[in-house]
Amino acid sequence: MADSSTIEPLSDGTQQLPSSKQNGTNNYLIKVSDALPSHHEIQKFLTASNCGAISTFTGITRDNFAGKKVTSLSYEGYTPMAVKELTNLCCDAQKKYPNVARMVAVHILGDCPVGEASVVVGSSSPHRREAIACTEYLIDELKGRVPIWKKEIYEGDEQSVWKENVEWKDGRRRRVMVKEESS
Amino acid sequence: VHSKEAGSSRRQQFRIPMATITIKILFFASAREAAGGITSTNLELDADGADTQVLRTKLASLYPKLAPLVQDEENLTLALNEEYVDMGEVKQLSSGDTVALIPPISGG
Repeated sequence: MADSSTIEPLSDGTQQLPSSKQNGTNNYLIKVSDALPSHHEIQKFLTASNCGAISTFTGITRDNFAGKKVTSLSYEGYTPMAVKELTNLCCDAQKKYPNVARMVAVHILGDCPVGEASVVVGSSSPHRREAIACTEYLIDELKGRVPIWKKEIYEGDEQSVWKENVEWKDGRRRRVMVKEESS
Repeated sequence: VHSKEAGSSRRQQFRIPMATITIKILFFASAREAAGGITSTNLELDADGADTQVLRTKLASLYPKLAPLVQDEENLTLALNEEYVDMGEVKQLSSGDTVALIPPISGG
């Protein structure tokens, strides 16, 4: 948590405000279940009177992979740990982007047909730079940390495949390297 | 009247049984499929030296189709009580622990 006496202004001149609720999880909407909150619910949650910017990212099932026709994705999760990791994620994002007021990190479980949303992450901040950067951080980190798996289901006889995020392997190697440096 | 020696040999006949611990295993995604579709099970391990390395070996012997995956630390991570065990780390296990088998993730 930033010490209010030593906060530097951001490069665009924005003054950083000490946040009294930096670790307050009532500023984070986190959900892992068989239905996403509605778009309206997400926007409403992210809206804060001191924020001029809301930035969200939505992940949608795509209809193709490596020349194969995808009909649907199927998501499985270690739900209590996924919620825990999403919470930790938001806390880490808060440290990186202290002016962000609210965050959303929600993920579906079960079937997600082509064109449907599987994940939404988002944030709100006084000015746009932090919200945009924070939202990007949330999805990148989610892909490297949160214990959820997707199976890609194809048209016809093609065997369905468990996908693997490149962010997962990269993250694991980074964690081992950091440990080795500190030992 | 029992002599000291007779007493000792009698004591040796009653061996203290080795303590065991019971832990819960959760199977996910490809690990679940490789283990025949099982989602969770309770497992008994010798308390002495019970750790994540020993657990991998035990799971490999109980679920032969899972063996290549569970013994491959690169491709099968463990989570102990909802915290990842880092590569190269070996964690001690206690009764009541939950260990989840975590193949490479793909959320988002």
